[in-house]
Amino acid sequence: MVRPAKLEVSEQVQPGRATVSVEGELDLSTVPVLEERVNAQMGSGESALTLDLSGVSFMDSSALRFLIALNERAQDEERAISLIAPQHESARLVLRMTGADKALPFERGAAP
Amino acid sequence: MASNRGELVGRAEIAERERLLEELRESLRGSERRFDAVVGSIGDAVTIRDREHRFVYANAAALAHLGIDSLEQLRETAPDAIMSDYLVASEDGREIAMSDIPSVRILRGEAAEPLLIRTVHRVTGEQRWNLLKAAPLLDERGEVEATIMIIEEVTERKRAELRSAFLPEAGAALAGSLDYEQTLRNVAQLAVPGIADWCAVDLLDEDGDRRTVAVAHADPERVSLAEQLQAYTPDRLDPERGLGRVVHTGEAALYREITEEMLVQAARDERHLELLRALGFRSMLMVAMRIGERALGAMTLVSAESARVLDEHDVELAEQVATRAAVAIENSRLYSERSRIARTLQQSLLPEQLPAIPGYELASVYLPAAQASMVGGDFYDVWAAGGAWMIAIGDITGKGIEAAALTALVRHTLRAGSEFDTRPARLLSLLDTMLKKRPTLSVCTALCVRLEDDVVTLSVGGHPLPLRVTPGRVEALGEHGPLLGAFPEVRWQDFSTRLEPGATLIAYTDGITDAQGEGRGRFGLRRLCETVQALADQPAAQMMRALADGVERFQAGTRSDDTAAIALRRLPGGAPCEAEREPRAKLRADAITTAA
Repeated sequence: MVRPAKLEVSEQVQPGRATVSVEGELDLSTVPVLEERVNAQMGSGESALTLDLSGVSFMDSSALRFLIALNERAQDEERAISLIAPQHESARLVLRMTGADKALPFERGAAP
Repeated sequence: MASNRGELVGRAEIAERERLLEELRESLRGSERRFDAVVGSIGDAVTIRDREHRFVYANAAALAHLGIDSLEQLRETAPDAIMSDYLVASEDGREIAMSDIPSVRILRGEAAEPLLIRTVHRVTGEQRWNLLKAAPLLDERGEVEATIMIIEEVTERKRAELRSAFLPEAGAALAGSLDYEQTLRNVAQLAVPGIADWCAVDLLDEDGDRRTVAVAHADPERVSLAEQLQAYTPDRLDPERGLGRVVHTGEAALYREITEEMLVQAARDERHLELLRALGFRSMLMVAMRIGERALGAMTLVSAESARVLDEHDVELAEQVATRAAVAIENSRLYSERSRIARTLQQSLLPEQLPAIPGYELASVYLPAAQASMVGGDFYDVWAAGGAWMIAIGDITGKGIEAAALTALVRHTLRAGSEFDTRPARLLSLLDTMLKKRPTLSVCTALCVRLEDDVVTLSVGGHPLPLRVTPGRVEALGEHGPLLGAFPEVRWQDFSTRLEPGATLIAYTDGITDAQGEGRGRFGLRRLCETVQALADQPAAQMMRALADGVERFQAGTRSDDTAAIALRRLPGGAPCEAEREPRAKLRADAITTAA
């Protein structure tokens, strides 16, 4: 069965900061898409990265694993990274349930 | 004409007529020679037959084609004698009779389209493709006096055409299946009847012994004959001869003509000889299936009832098929092996059977993700430690062999750790430490439960909270704690409660709640609660079955994630597990936890 695309990723680049915005469902099948786009930004010269997850309606453990790995990589590369929390409750729940809300660099005021 | 004049015709006139007749004959012979000079130089075979279909003329190419020395000899040959030297078939394998030949059809007054035929000489076994084109030769009254037929030999062209059609077809057929047995059957079927009447595929096992894995024949009934032959073929191959040599050296072996002497020599006994004769092998070709220097086996192609002799063109084609087949076989073998390893590993990650806990019922469901060769993901385990019963369930993020290795580590860490300390939060903390020691990011969710009598103590690491189901009520137990192996400086908390008689504790992985239905809907917590609530007073096994059915019914398409759940139900009025305590283990665990 072919499902319609569940994820939309867009990039916005300003001097010194790149923002990657995600809309849709982040799971085993869509995480690789986001991973590729984020890797492209991480590879470019922009020093700071914001990952805007406000449009994410669903997250599973593979999405979480991706965020954790991304955060570790950013720390290793000494690159500033911030996350904007999802608005949808089910995605926020996953972040709270796993402690990711506290451990990952969510922007103040927008924590899950 | 001249005879009308009767007696008036004088001697001089007779002589004159003789001369004229001789001149006419001479001129006719000359025209025949001129005709021959033109037609004879054409590469294509040209024949002219009279109304009785007797040969009147054949050019040099036709004589060579028919294997006849001279035109005189040909003229003395009976019309269908030549045809009977061949097995003649149309392109689609239908037998062609004399009456189908275009020139004969013209004599019958029919229109004759060009006809493509495949001929196999009964004696030499040589195969040719000929395109027959015929036209009528009319007399002055416009009646068919003779037919002229051009026999264009198109063997080379046809061979190339067949090959260019056959090889992609072969590739598609081989790529079509990852099922090992099916691939082998496909390989054998491919060559029949395109290349030969029979095809057998032999593979080498780990000891280098031969095993015939597929036999194909256009007529399936004859396959059983070939199978009987297997009993006479040694498994141990002789690298110096026959199939063994082919496999060993990678060089094809072509036996153009299989003679009676060869059969006698090969036969091990009378019965064997009889069987060999019954099979009627005409010609045989063996090609190795290899990947690089590694021999996988060989393909044996045999021509029998088609009577054609296999030649070097067949060797070339068969070798190309064998190369493709070797890759397909290797791929499907690896895939089968991977699936088998995956299944074995997956099974090793789950308890073989759930232990019997006195006073309780245990039941579980496990629905692995659809992709069979993948392994890892969810796990659960139930074991006894320190006088208590331990239940763990979790989800390794990631798939494949690494995830499987990680799952094994998680299970063993929890089991080993529980020998020293059965407090769930301590076990999760230990697991977190172990995961962080790994060189690559290793995270998992886990729920660890300790059951002591009717007291349930549990701790949750990034995992869905377990549910307590009683008639009329479903509640989540405990508090969320952080994911394991993921974050620095984190802690977990134990939560304790009692499990009253008839109450069921359900632990599950997110495969249940995340199961995707039609559209964007997920199974979700609400459906989960409703499903188990409806069966709150039923045995644990029934509840789990209903949950599995519910998720499967809801699921649209294939399952993308592992799905697991385990139910622990305290029997109504049942005795707690006190009687099953292991005093020594308890003592040891206590001693160590006190020391720690």
